[in-house]
Amino acid sequence: MGDEKSKVTDKAGEIAKNIWLAGVGAYGKAVEDAQGRLEKAGMEPPKLFKELVKAGTALEDDAREALESTAAARSSVEERINRVRENFHNQRPARIEDLNALHKKVDQLSRKVDRLTKALSEQGVAGGARGRKPAAAKAATKKSTTTTRKKAAARGKTTTRKR
Amino acid sequence: MKTRDRILYTSLALFNEEGEPQTTTIDIANEMDISPGNLYYHFKGKDEIIAELFQQYEQALSHTLTAPIERPLSADHSNVEDNWYYLYVVMEEMYQYRFLYHNLDDILQRYPDIRRGFRRLIQLKRAALFAICQTLLQQSVLDAREQQLLGLVDNMTLTLTFWFNYSELLHESRPPHVTIHQGVLQLLAMVAPYLGDEQLNFYRDCESIYASMLEQAD
Repeated sequence: MGDEKSKVTDKAGEIAKNIWLAGVGAYGKAVEDAQGRLEKAGMEPPKLFKELVKAGTALEDDAREALESTAAARSSVEERINRVRENFHNQRPARIEDLNALHKKVDQLSRKVDRLTKALSEQGVAGGARGRKPAAAKAATKKSTTTTRKKAAARGKTTTRKR
Repeated sequence: MKTRDRILYTSLALFNEEGEPQTTTIDIANEMDISPGNLYYHFKGKDEIIAELFQQYEQALSHTLTAPIERPLSADHSNVEDNWYYLYVVMEEMYQYRFLYHNLDDILQRYPDIRRGFRRLIQLKRAALFAICQTLLQQSVLDAREQQLLGLVDNMTLTLTFWFNYSELLHESRPPHVTIHQGVLQLLAMVAPYLGDEQLNFYRDCESIYASMLEQAD
């Protein structure tokens, strides 16, 4: 009898393992719990069916709960990965690629700053705030056709919207 | 914090720092400035505390270990490194309950329930590492045959379970971040022969971080 029992246990273990490997995590523990309950239920055969139904219902709830909580855990695993990544990047030595990437970023940023300054000064002209930015205003008046001014105003609007 | 939670929290700290066999319920009560009777009201002895702490541990680690089985940690080549960061997450979690590993055999013999739970955790660890390696294989980050992969996963599981004991034996006590980093490095060293150039850079970064950690520790 003991032999048969261990066979059952092995089989259940195998199933549990396969289920884990298949990726439906929450059920692995459930199988083991069910196994425990089955062993208990085995003592009184008439009760078996009732026990099984009861265990089944309970397991369904357990499984649902477990699945819900793994969804919550998932986000926390992601959060923790993010934290480790940040920490790691602070510690690791700079590589050529990093430096290049950084240069690129700085270039991008300075272009953006240029664009913004230009847009701001042009907007200043359009709004008539001439006194505040004389140099920029002068540059803008050099090519003071109405069409460019309109364009500039439109560009100014889009940049502000972006921000 | 509720008294019950405070008992668990204090016990975990004492077990980790002083060792579980050296800590009595009286020590725990003293540390918390409560009467032993009050502690007894919540837990009928150290066994119950250990059982509950293990349950917490199993739940937390199971959740973490299920993540890569449910869904790959890296969607494509751009965030392959997330798999390596994940190893830190697992090890940090284990480190919080390190008292279990300090005298593992003893605890497993005393508590059959913990023995079963521990087995589940190891199976789950194995499944998680297998899932990670399989994903990396599919994304052509790893270059290995199925058979090699299984061997690799088993060795990684072994290290992920006993790295802490190994580190303790070899280096005695070290700061936690060094111990954890060394564990990750050890795992990566196993994967390294199967990695392409791009991810080898990551491995080298890990090595140099480790070297600077050791310099700082001296």
